[in-house]
Order: sequence, then structure tokens, then C-alpha cells
Amino acid sequence: MYGYYDPPFSVEQEGIAISVENTGEHWVYRRTLGTDKVEKIILGDGKCLIINPVEPLNTPKEITPNLLIEFEKTLLLAGGAKRRIFLTFPIEIGVFISDKGDKNLQLLDVLSLARQKFTLYGEVSNGVLCKHWKSRIYSISPSPNPLQEGIMELTLRNTSSDWASISKVVFSAYGMKLYYDGDVFMRARMDILNRNTAETGFELQHLSGELKSSHRRDFKARKEAFGVYSLQKLGFAPLKFYMGWGF
Amino acid sequence: MDINLLDFVLYNTSKAPVTLGDLLKFVLILSFSVLFSRILTLYLRRSLKDKVSKDVGETVLKFLYYGTLIIVFISALPLIGLDPSGFLLAGGVAGIVLGFASQNIVGNLVSGFFLMVERPIKIGDQVEISGISGYVTDIRIISTLIRTYDGLLVRLPNQQVFTTNITNIVGHPVRRFEHTIRIRYSDDANAAIFLIKELIDKEPFALLNPSPSVFVNDLGDSSVNITVRIWAPVNEWFGIKTRILWNIKQTLEEYGIEIPLPQRIIRIQTDAKKIPEELMSEKKIDSVLNYEERVLA
Repeated sequence: MYGYYDPPFSVEQEGIAISVENTGEHWVYRRTLGTDKVEKIILGDGKCLIINPVEPLNTPKEITPNLLIEFEKTLLLAGGAKRRIFLTFPIEIGVFISDKGDKNLQLLDVLSLARQKFTLYGEVSNGVLCKHWKSRIYSISPSPNPLQEGIMELTLRNTSSDWASISKVVFSAYGMKLYYDGDVFMRARMDILNRNTAETGFELQHLSGELKSSHRRDFKARKEAFGVYSLQKLGFAPLKFYMGWGF
Repeated sequence: MDINLLDFVLYNTSKAPVTLGDLLKFVLILSFSVLFSRILTLYLRRSLKDKVSKDVGETVLKFLYYGTLIIVFISALPLIGLDPSGFLLAGGVAGIVLGFASQNIVGNLVSGFFLMVERPIKIGDQVEISGISGYVTDIRIISTLIRTYDGLLVRLPNQQVFTTNITNIVGHPVRRFEHTIRIRYSDDANAAIFLIKELIDKEPFALLNPSPSVFVNDLGDSSVNITVRIWAPVNEWFGIKTRILWNIKQTLEEYGIEIPLPQRIIRIQTDAKKIPEELMSEKKIDSVLNYEERVLA
């Protein structure tokens, strides 16, 4: 389903039906997912529609820019160790409209097939609301349904000398970089600073340094997805997330 | 005789005489600075609209607006023959005089300043102050404006806001709500709890952490009372609170679990000599329950 579409077109997959039709005077965008229906009128010719995965933080309502991934089993990381694991994360499908050449991008619609649930990270008085997702820990890249779940390659670095017991990781959507091509991919890191705090962030897909040698064989040239958060003017929004209430 | 009106001396000071031209300059500079500050704040308000939250932006703009005016006013004072340093020295005495003369206004002004610095409430917050509930629409130098849930505008003096108890409904990111669900004694409470938990699990805004709790809280006169406690994001709690209550009612009824009406069993005894069968059986129970008779005898 992901890709570029020139109107008029119609696409249907896994219960999602998206179409753009010409009614003579204008274009009509229609989307159906179960009982949820969206219809919008497009005034403008020569436009292109882009359907790609976006940050999983826009539906059912954008109330937080943070994603918390809870591990199915607690993971213990030795002091000073660095390991790579794979997780899954929820996907939302973004529909954008643009001029030819990806200019003047505008979000048209966002939908999701993934389970929606929120949680609080931290204390009631000063915690942070997060979208919740539970994932198994994989040692090799899993193959989930790309319309529902993506693959996250997470590099864990324990910069402390103590063992770290990790059961969850929180990310800020402002730094998310999604890539797609058959699957949906995201590369992230988690630096454990001490017994209770860690810092998380995202990395671009291009390979660098130590990761380069280990990934060369798995390397797959994926296309960078347009994000909802990257369309917004970021201002002073932090790209990293500081986990101060444990992990 | 050439008379220049602008050179007309209004009064003399220790340094130089103050002319009508000086006074006009002073007024013009102040007017220009008011105009300039307004245009600047208007421009900044528009350009900061999407980048900074409204409460922070408004506070910064107010400091900028009044700060500019104060600086320009003090800088322009020499034009009308007033020395700012002397004015500041005299400020102590003037302050006392002003304080007595306008206790309430100064009190509100100082409270307004502390409200902006301490920020117990922000523009856009839902609050309850002195029995008035609603959204904070503006925190001004002297007063705070609240739009009640009915859409009425209430102006509260800052001194009252600062010295009274403030309940900030959206002060924390999450809040809890509670429902009591009454089911019949003949219904399976465990099944009801399972169904309610399943409904909560399907509701996106019912938070996983802090976790919800569903338990039998009371064995009432005519019903088993199940308490449902759910945490929700502070801006979504009312929607989920109303939605989930109706969903619980519908789901329980779907599975044959009913919410009973209050009941009272009344026995009308028509024949005083006739002993009801129920009371006959009570005799048996009585002998069973009579511990002393059974064990200690």
C-alpha cells in the first residue's frame, strides 16, 4: 500500500480502502477503515498522493509525542556492555498530498490498524504520558505485518559499571526517522547512564562507525518516510528522551 | 516680536527650564513607545503562536510590553526636568504614600506579578478558585479572567486569586475517576469484573499505568456494589468517564447481569397464630448457631 499515487486511483488492503476520484469539478478523497469513514474535497490539479508509515502518535488523538515500548521479558545488560536487539513498534499510516517532486507536503489523513493504548511514565504529579506498546525482544530482525508493526533496531549501551535491568524504553516522536520498503524500519539507541536513568534517541539509516561492519550484509536501501512530526515546526522540541524514572 | 510657542517656559528646575516643547516631546515619546510596544507584541504574538505555548508566550509578551514602557518612561523623565535617580530615591516615600492610597490596586499588582512568576495557574488551565470553575483565559496585571463552563466571563482580582485556595484541575498529567456499578446478588460478580476489565482494556485512554482497579467494594441492601477506578489523561477523563459508564451498563446487560432497583421485602402476617414456614426453619438455624448450647453444655 505504501508508495506514490497519481489521482484518480483506488487501493484496498487489509480492510483499508483509499481512493481519489474526479467528480468533474473537484477531486474527492475517500478512506474507509471498518466503520470509520473519511471524505475530503481536494481543490487543485496535478497533485500526488503519498501513503507511507508515520510516527504512531497521531491516533486516536494526538495527546503525547512519546512512545513507551514495554519489553515482554525483562532484559539484563552487563556493565559497560553494548548489544543490539530488535523490537516491534506500532505503525500509523499517513496519507499526504503534495505537488510533483514532494513539494508543499500536506497531511491529509492518518489511520492505524495497531492496538491503541496509553500509559504514564513516571509519577502522577510530574510524569509523562506515553503511547504504549508491548514487544517481544528479538535477536534477529522479525517480519511483522508492515501495515501494523515496524521493526526497531535498538542499540543498548550500558555506560555504567553496574548491571542494568531493562523492562521498557521511551522515545520522543520528534526525533523519529522511519524507513520503508516492504517492511518498516527504525534505528534507535538507548544509553544507560546509571542505575535509574537513560537517554534514548534515533539514528539515521546511513551506516557509520562500529555499526557499519556488523550491518553491511543486512543493509537494505529503504526509502525515508515523511513524518507528521517532521512537518511541524519543531521550535525547541528535544529530539532525545531522558528517562529519569527508571527503565 | 517673534514668539515661539514651543519655547514657552512652563516651569524651572535646578538644571534647566522645561518648555512646552519638552513636554510635547515627552508625551510624543511615550505615545510612540506605547504604539511601538503594541505593534511589537502583536507581531511577536502572531509569530510565536505555533512555537511557544500560550501561557508562556503571554507572560513573556506582558513583561516585554510593560518593561519597554517603564524603561522609556524613566529615560524620558529628564525631558520634563525630573531626575530618574532622584525619582528612585523619592520612590521609597512615594511608595509608602501610594501603598496607603491604593492598597488594593498595589496588592492586586503585586499578586499579579507573583502569579506570573510562581505560576500556580496558566492560561488555558481548568481551575476552581473561590467556588468559580472554568478555564483561565488571561492573567492580567491586576486581575485574572476565567471563562466558566457555562461560557460566562468572571474577573477575579489577583489578590483574591493569590490568597485563596486554587484547585488546578489540569495541574497533573493524569487524574482518576470512579464509578460504582451495582449488580444483583444472583449475578456472578467475578464475571462482571472480568467484563468490566475487558472494556477498560479496549479503551485507549484508560491508562495502563497507574493501573485501573475493579473490585467488590460493598454488599449493599439490594445489590453487590463493584467499584471501578480508572486513571485517564487529564484532558480526556470526562469523555472516557461518560463513555465507559454506558458501555459497562450495555455490556453487563448483554451478558444477563442486571443493575437491580432498590428492593425491600415486606411480609404481611394475616394470621397471628400461624407460624410462617421461614420462621420454622429459623429455629433449626438458631440451634445450629447456638455455640454455647452445642459445645459448652
